[in-house]
Amino acid sequence: MTRIAIHLDGGYVPGLNTVIHGAVRAAAGLGWEVIGLHDGFDGLLFPERYPEGGTIPLTPRHVEPLSNASGCLLGTAPHADPFRVQQLKADAAVCETDRSDELLAWATKSGIEAVISVADSHALGGLWKLERRGLRTLSVPQSPENDIAATDLAFGFSSVLDFTVDILERAREAAAAAGRIGVVEVPGLYAGWLALQSAIAVGADAALLPEIRYDLSRVAEHLSRRLPASRGHGLVVVAEGSTPLETSETPGPAHFLKSSLSPGATGPAGARIHVGRGQSAKTVAEGLQRRLNHTTQALDLGRIALAGPPSSIDRQLGMSYGAAAVQAVQQGRTGSLMAFQAPHLDCVPLEQAVNRHRTIQKDCAWVQVARSLGICLGD
Amino acid sequence: MVLNIQHFCTHDGPGMRTTVFLKGCTLRCKWCSNPESIHPRPELAYNPAKCIGRTECGFCLPKCPEHAIFSTDPDLKVRINWTLCTNCSQCVSACPPGALSLFGHELTVEEVLAEVEQDSPFYRESGGGITLSGGECQLQPDFAAALLEEARHRGMNTAIETAFNVPWENVEKVLPHVDVCLHDHKISDPERHRKWCGADNRRIQENQKRAYETFPGVKFIARTPLIPGVNDDEAHIRAVLAFIRPHPNVIDYELLPYFRFGESKYGFLGRVYELEDFQPPSEELLARLRAIIDEAFGRATAITRKTQP
Repeated sequence: MTRIAIHLDGGYVPGLNTVIHGAVRAAAGLGWEVIGLHDGFDGLLFPERYPEGGTIPLTPRHVEPLSNASGCLLGTAPHADPFRVQQLKADAAVCETDRSDELLAWATKSGIEAVISVADSHALGGLWKLERRGLRTLSVPQSPENDIAATDLAFGFSSVLDFTVDILERAREAAAAAGRIGVVEVPGLYAGWLALQSAIAVGADAALLPEIRYDLSRVAEHLSRRLPASRGHGLVVVAEGSTPLETSETPGPAHFLKSSLSPGATGPAGARIHVGRGQSAKTVAEGLQRRLNHTTQALDLGRIALAGPPSSIDRQLGMSYGAAAVQAVQQGRTGSLMAFQAPHLDCVPLEQAVNRHRTIQKDCAWVQVARSLGICLGD
Repeated sequence: MVLNIQHFCTHDGPGMRTTVFLKGCTLRCKWCSNPESIHPRPELAYNPAKCIGRTECGFCLPKCPEHAIFSTDPDLKVRINWTLCTNCSQCVSACPPGALSLFGHELTVEEVLAEVEQDSPFYRESGGGITLSGGECQLQPDFAAALLEEARHRGMNTAIETAFNVPWENVEKVLPHVDVCLHDHKISDPERHRKWCGADNRRIQENQKRAYETFPGVKFIARTPLIPGVNDDEAHIRAVLAFIRPHPNVIDYELLPYFRFGESKYGFLGRVYELEDFQPPSEELLARLRAIIDEAFGRATAITRKTQP
């Protein structure tokens, strides 16, 4: 009997269970056996942490009741890297070791045909490396920021967008009641899709994106035109990775520098500084308050935006990604990434997504729509 | 494996000192201010501020056998996929502006001392000398011992900064050549120590106690990096005092207030800094905890800041 494994290799997004559900049902239809791995590869690498076993056999009976619930059955693994696993050695020294060989040995020994990985953009590099070592993988893209190259829609983005739009509406109401300018920071380190699309959805006054460096004076000028004395409130959406045009407008003081997996992080003198979560909104709120005769209020959505129940789009996308991944394995197309390129759900070679981000092009339709709606993009 | 040599340090022992940072550490404290010192081998570091971009330069892109260097930025600077990078360093020599560099070099005792001795006039005046820091300097016991022995032979005061999470044989090799031993008491509870530093503190405490007793001639200075909500409580300070006060050669207990200078370096190395929401401890808290130490020692205790490489 064909056996496949499934695991979640990346951070949390709403509705991860639906992908598992889709894969398990499709596999059951083929008479295949599915094994779930806990917490990325931790279920295999650290079985002692799981009293009931680091792997779990998955059948439709297991996953059907869970499919629409929030939470996730297998556990996620943000920033996990099987090539650098932190371990405590017997002599009480901590070290990082390459344990990829153990994963390969396990797959061979257990007769695993392929591993389906629901992976975020950080995890794709590691999976590509494992693939080149000989592990047959099939990746399903998940990203709350929709920043994975080669797919038009990563799993999880729709749910996060729904929640963000909901919060932005509330933020605007609150800002209106208080007569302030609400400045809301939303996830989006490399790509500003969430900020741009949610700003369009609620008709915000401005959206600041990582792809377009912003000039706060321009934003202030735009707001002062849109906010006459009769309307004393506004709404500005700021992506986490948005950067000011002027390096002097470095977001936050130097000691707030947050480094990241971000290759974009840099030193105090550099232009691309990834600051801590919430700092982009604070910088914009303070800068606007200095330039305008309005009070501003900063809000950071942070990780809350990544939790909650999946949207209907993500539910069907998750089921479809799961089922299509099983089909791809059946067709022997491992080493691929599932990609939704409307109207097709197909797979593309994994290297098309590694070392790339799906970012907003300055002349794309969404940008033009935003501009025609009078949403300032900071340039 | 030496990470860096820093001149004119005033916080790593008595007087004006030269600090030699050795690479490699056996702990993974989440607040580490020298993350580039953790890995025992040379590591790639990338400073995008220095990168002049793929159109002007781009020599590094074809150099990487792992395809870890790429460029998609609108500003054309290269990026590093840290998951793919194996620190092979082939890109470093191909980078004219020096945006790609290596943390860590192999140096001999003589090479280190030649660098350190440039400062020797200052030690004589200030009673300073050489300090070995890290990383964990006792992880390279033979090199550390040889370096300290020779430094002492040349009339320098010798100090080390250590966490003591090393086999006792290493301590036995190094400490005979040390005048001042600055050592950490990070967290009292073993399980909490394991959570925040990656390993528990049982071996550390055994080594500390044994070192106090075995080397009565060494001056020990206990230190705690004060991390908000982790170890900035009275109970920990009192526990440390109870541990060190029976030993007369532990001459001082210093508090190192948590600070965030190390954060930008995590970015250079492609690591995640986990304490982003932590704020440095308040002056009031420091004063209160200092007062407890003052009372135990019957004198004022200085608050110092740890030096950066």
